[in-house]
Amino acid sequence: MECIRARSLSKSYGDTLAVDGLDLEVGCGQVFGFLGPNGAGKSTCIKMFTTLLRPSSGSLEVLGTDALSEPLRVRSRIGVVLQQPSYEPTLSVEKALDRYGMMWGVPAAERRERAARLLSEFGLEDTRRVRNEDLSIGQRRRVQVAREFMHDMDLLFLDEPTVGMDPQARRRLMDYLRARVRDGLTILYTTHVLSEVEYLCDNIAVVRGGRLLATETPESLRRRYGSGKTMTMHVAGPPGLLEGLKMPGCELDTAEGTVTIRSDSPEGMLSGALRALAAAGLRVEDISVEPASLEDAFIRMVDDAPGS
Amino acid sequence: MHQVARLVLRNLTVSLNPGFLIWQIIFPLVYIFVAGFAYSALIPEIDLGDSSIDYPAFLATGMIGFNIMNSTLVSGIIIWNDRRHGMFEQILCGPFTRAHYILGNICTIGIVGIASAFLILLVGAPVFAGSVQMQPETIPLVVFAAVVGSVLFGSIASIISTRLRSSEGFNVIINTVFLFFAFVSTAFYPAHGAPEPLATLFYLNPLTYIVDVIRAGMFGSLDATAVYEMVALLAAAACLFAVATRLITRLDV
Repeated sequence: MECIRARSLSKSYGDTLAVDGLDLEVGCGQVFGFLGPNGAGKSTCIKMFTTLLRPSSGSLEVLGTDALSEPLRVRSRIGVVLQQPSYEPTLSVEKALDRYGMMWGVPAAERRERAARLLSEFGLEDTRRVRNEDLSIGQRRRVQVAREFMHDMDLLFLDEPTVGMDPQARRRLMDYLRARVRDGLTILYTTHVLSEVEYLCDNIAVVRGGRLLATETPESLRRRYGSGKTMTMHVAGPPGLLEGLKMPGCELDTAEGTVTIRSDSPEGMLSGALRALAAAGLRVEDISVEPASLEDAFIRMVDDAPGS
Repeated sequence: MHQVARLVLRNLTVSLNPGFLIWQIIFPLVYIFVAGFAYSALIPEIDLGDSSIDYPAFLATGMIGFNIMNSTLVSGIIIWNDRRHGMFEQILCGPFTRAHYILGNICTIGIVGIASAFLILLVGAPVFAGSVQMQPETIPLVVFAAVVGSVLFGSIASIISTRLRSSEGFNVIINTVFLFFAFVSTAFYPAHGAPEPLATLFYLNPLTYIVDVIRAGMFGSLDATAVYEMVALLAAAACLFAVATRLITRLDV
């Protein structure tokens, strides 16, 4: 069953077409990454999926319900963490969780139990009595995400949820989300941090200019667009020598003292590069070879797309 | 619990802090017991049709209207805060419609307005108790003034909050508007005796009508003028509520 089914979905603001005929199907029980560069139309899509915005044209089903004719029914089964912060400035963290649960009609005893569990899961016990306005940006974001788990839902939209979070909090959130997906939750996840996508997402969709470029697994995207490798050599020697060097096919970073070769088979260029460096009086201290990352593949895919 | 009731509970939690409640009591207390008695040498008695009352009693009943108006600032502050801190969108992503949101706000200010009115009735009772003429219409008229006044001023505050994003702009505009309403009215002094242009201005101000209706209920001076004022209040509240609802309905998310 699909949790989201969009057909020819479009949204325009005056003459500006923010989303252009999007066809998308998101299956249930997975983390679905929704990626794209800034201004690609991701947030507009999420606002339509969550019924905040009405599409200009097209059809949209969320959790098997027509989102255009029954938006309230859709909203009663979804959770949403929007890109922009949302918080009650004067409420303490604990009170904010409780009031949010109350707004969703969660009984008081259950609210207390859930709030205590979420404060622990999200590492917020020390801030339970701190007012939202006195929290750091990262802490406030954690409260915003934790708050959404005060109520039950079948589908959760997370629009760049880790902005401002430290690495520990980020990893803790990822693991928590994975556990919730194992329990049957579906998550539509938007981020610019592609390591999060690799860690978390089962499938991804890439949009650009309001159009869908591809829907596939992160691994297949990497295979399709990230065939190259990156070989990096750290060199040492008298200062200034690297600056004047001419090495075709190589990128020289004089500040970092590195020579980088990006190629499908950089090993073939290695001996020539080593000879050139030795002739210049430079010594190679370290060589590393890395396969193309998902980020490389994503950048290539978006750059190669028609109209870029 | 219905969605509107849940939003009202949430509104009361986020807006009624101790500072606000103390302000709602201390400020009128100072006016009633300091200004009321200090000015009574200058304004010994005020005519109310067939009867007259002393200035402290006049001022105390004016403070009921003033407090109703002040408390409805809550409405504007809720909307403005919700927009500024992202809660407006967040609420609309939940099991609520814009109609729920608007009704929740109106119910909140209605509750706060009535509570404020009865707070001043309690605090000011020693001052005006001797002048009050309890009639069958006394309590209905005070409740009418509290509810209609709340909707009217709440709508004005809501309209302002939907038009302004910056905190400086919101504070300057709302304080200026409400300062005008407070002091260019008959809440603190009677219209007769004031220069003609000023007295006319008093009657372009809905707070004047609200305190007139409260005094008509409490001092038994209900007449045709008070009835016309009630009709005018109802019409103005309905119009402003319609405008506020329309603006909130069209707010961008």
